[in-house]
Amino acid sequence: MSKFMNSMRGILQRSFTLGLSILMAILVGSIIMLIDNHNPIEVYRLLLEGAFGSTRGLFITMQRATPLIFTAIASTLAFRTGVFNVGVEGQFFIGAIVGTWVGYAFQMPAVIHLPLTLLAGFIGGAAWAYFPTVMRQKLGVNEIITTIMTNYIATFLISYLTNYPMRASATTPETPPVQVTARLPQFVEISKEFGKGSQAHVGIFIALAVVVIMWFIFRRTKLGYEWRMVGLSHMFSEFGGVNLNRTFISGMLVSGGIAGLGGIVEILGVWREYKNLFAVGFGFRGNLASLLGGQTVIGSTVAAIFYGGMESGALSLEWGAGVPRQLIDIIVGLVIFFMAAEGMWDFLRRRKAAAKSGGDAPTAGQTPAKPAEKTEAAGQAAQAK
Amino acid sequence: MTNAVEMIGIRKVYPGVIANNNVNFSVATGEIHALVGENGAGKSTLMNVLFGLTRPEEGQIFINGKQVHIHKNSDAIALGIGMVHQSFKLVPSFTVTENITLGGEPRKGLLVDRKAAHDNIVEISKRFGLQVDPDARIRDLPVGVQQRVEILKALYHNADILILDEPTAVLTPQETRDLFGVIRSLVAKGKTVIFITHKFNEVMTISDRVTVMRDGKVVETKDTKDTNPTELARMMVGRDVLLRVDKAPANPKDVVLEVQDLEVLDNRNLKAVRGLSLQVRAGEILGIAGVEGNGQRELVEAIVGLRPVYSGKVVMQGKEITHASVRQRRDDGISCVPEDRYVRGVALRATLEDNLIVESYFKEPIGRGMLIDLNQVTEFSQNLIKKFDVRTPSSKVTAGALSGGNMQKVVLARELSLDPTLLIVAQPTRGLDVGSIEFVHRTIIEARDRGAAVLLVSAELEEIMSLSDRINVVYEGRIMGEVSGAEADEESLGLWMAGVGGNAEAAHEASSEHTAETLKG
Ligand SMILES: Nc1ncnc2c1ncn2[C@@H]1O[C@H](COP(=O)(O)OP(=O)(O)OP(=O)(O)O)[C@@H](O)[C@H]1O
Ligand SMILES: [Mg+2]
Repeated sequence: MSKFMNSMRGILQRSFTLGLSILMAILVGSIIMLIDNHNPIEVYRLLLEGAFGSTRGLFITMQRATPLIFTAIASTLAFRTGVFNVGVEGQFFIGAIVGTWVGYAFQMPAVIHLPLTLLAGFIGGAAWAYFPTVMRQKLGVNEIITTIMTNYIATFLISYLTNYPMRASATTPETPPVQVTARLPQFVEISKEFGKGSQAHVGIFIALAVVVIMWFIFRRTKLGYEWRMVGLSHMFSEFGGVNLNRTFISGMLVSGGIAGLGGIVEILGVWREYKNLFAVGFGFRGNLASLLGGQTVIGSTVAAIFYGGMESGALSLEWGAGVPRQLIDIIVGLVIFFMAAEGMWDFLRRRKAAAKSGGDAPTAGQTPAKPAEKTEAAGQAAQAK
Repeated sequence: MTNAVEMIGIRKVYPGVIANNNVNFSVATGEIHALVGENGAGKSTLMNVLFGLTRPEEGQIFINGKQVHIHKNSDAIALGIGMVHQSFKLVPSFTVTENITLGGEPRKGLLVDRKAAHDNIVEISKRFGLQVDPDARIRDLPVGVQQRVEILKALYHNADILILDEPTAVLTPQETRDLFGVIRSLVAKGKTVIFITHKFNEVMTISDRVTVMRDGKVVETKDTKDTNPTELARMMVGRDVLLRVDKAPANPKDVVLEVQDLEVLDNRNLKAVRGLSLQVRAGEILGIAGVEGNGQRELVEAIVGLRPVYSGKVVMQGKEITHASVRQRRDDGISCVPEDRYVRGVALRATLEDNLIVESYFKEPIGRGMLIDLNQVTEFSQNLIKKFDVRTPSSKVTAGALSGGNMQKVVLARELSLDPTLLIVAQPTRGLDVGSIEFVHRTIIEARDRGAAVLLVSAELEEIMSLSDRINVVYEGRIMGEVSGAEADEESLGLWMAGVGGNAEAAHEASSEHTAETLKG
């Protein structure tokens, strides 16, 4: 019974539910399209082709996936420590605006300027995560509520900044462009051919680096161990001497930092200046991608890329077939819905069984623990062979 | 006479273990049938099969002579089978009534009829003598009362065949006697009871027949009157077991732990520990005897650093640690085997490796700088697993997949891996089989002989008396009196535990003398 086989089984099971959810979503999506007078088969074909069928599509997919990878990893990190960070959205914006300021207000050589700007984005996001974290730890206020609040505050704050102190253009609320020394080159800028027709940029490497680093941290470092254990059982971790406060706070700060880093990478690679509300929804989609990916580092990365692909496909659909891109949001929403429904179904079934027997009732507000069932399922899978 | 339950050729395999291997098991209608066996022998698995919580690979089940197919839990419930689980499965934030009626609430139109539920529970608890406040929240209740709620819950769902998986593990002797009364009255009303336990005296007292399991197989089923504890132990373990511990006289050295006039609040902010003082020396075992819920839990949590101290002092080797963090105290050499094995002792969803390293991941050789050396982790874990004979297919399975006894071995292994100066053990053998109890007791005595100060908290008088070099009896958060382990007799300890004996005054004086002495010293 090797560990590898075990994890393979887990992945297979997970892919199965994911596949099923996607199938259901496609079905329901088809009905909606039929009602809207589109041929679903054609739409899906165009969607896939748009996303993965051409080099250009692939580059657009990459471009759209880049910020999502950051926000998905940020959500995953928080989830794993037992926190639902809905504030990824606001942290993304704040990271972007703080980084933008460092990016345009200073002049220095690229080797210093670029890292400094990225760092500023990270710190901006982390700082924005700090307040809800403290509210949770000190006052016991639910982080979902406080992070939603801080999202609103972020929106208003940025609206103010781009309209007044940081405004550069008389006509629209936007900041001055960031210095060339702080920009992340797009692939087209490096070679005229490679990545033509997209704004894909080298930020994807930073995103992938974050993925690798986070994977490593979870698996191989003391900090990662603390994050994981606190998420699995804070009662046990506390008993073992793990400092819960410090672990929660560090988890949230790094989560916010990664979100903020995503924000500034998006600016430096694609926009090069802060336009008000340049990219609403990256945070929320990151939350969803993390859920889709089973709250694991690798899973949520794959989900983020998938999500990016759907968006890229949606863009080409909009141009090519005149299908509104909101349809894609509906389909992705449906995928999530069916996956969540699967979890919900499981939850309800166990709750019902528990009610009758005194069995393992999932506790309200906690991720339901079900170690025994998992091993059990694995056992049955083993037997099936 | 028909058999209420007949299980034939049951086989259940988990990854790496055959939990039930061709098991035949039958229970006559109206009997009390004890099921005993080592930790991990497969008792709970067999009952989970009967209760429809897990499906066997092979085997047939007959209920009241008719073959049945139990595919899921609700099938079993519909057949009149009820089960009280080994580990608590109650929702902590719900009230007793809510927990008992969860899912099957009596209804008035669309609304849940709380009053009816409430009255029904009061009625059942009266009828069977199980006193519970139906409106209390589970998290505020002591373990013993939570167990009572579990039993009530099964009764509430009209079970005819009642499976009790180690119900007495968490009960006080008095509560156990009460439970036996309940069981007898159930049987008198024609119900059938399957009773899992590790305590042979309970088998002898309550059961009509007893089935012994070992390594996933049934060894034998016997009429209780034709057997005795020694024989049961031999059948279970496969060798002769020492039912009593041998130990050399203690050789106490310097004071390691000193608790002075300690006051600690419980979850409801009431004083649970009320001016308690004690001392533990290196190389001795101090036993804290007492009925559960007299402040023992709060005392232990305060010493370990999980619960703030209201007033008073905790001193470790001359250094005050009253407000130190858990980690600091652990660095000072405090280890603890907690009473709540499933909540504090292990993280059920984490692997054994992750469970075993929680106190050493940040230190050499496992921790290196900011990193954790995974090879060291595996080596460290596998050593401990071997040394403490934890029965598991691998160090990478989750702790939740282990049997109760093996889980406790994991906790002990971890807590002793650091060679503690002070070892606190709370209810260390709760739910363990005789073989494991022998092992745990030997381990505790070995720790003492290596020079550790041991603070043993147990509701089990026998355990306290056989292990302790000195015994303090706690009642309502205070020490009622002290005797040496050799002089202790059940009678007087029992009186102190009940708060009787007029020794309270004397005890009080004694403890203030203690304090005065230490102040001088
Ligand atoms: N869900 C599970 N997944 C994997 N292995 C399991 C699972 N449940 C039980 N086992 C294994 O099956 C064996 C039998 O376990 P079981 O819980 O039935 O023992 P038990 O006789 O009830 O022991 P105890 O007295 O400690 O409660 C053990 O080796 C245990 O590790
Ligand atoms: Mg068991």
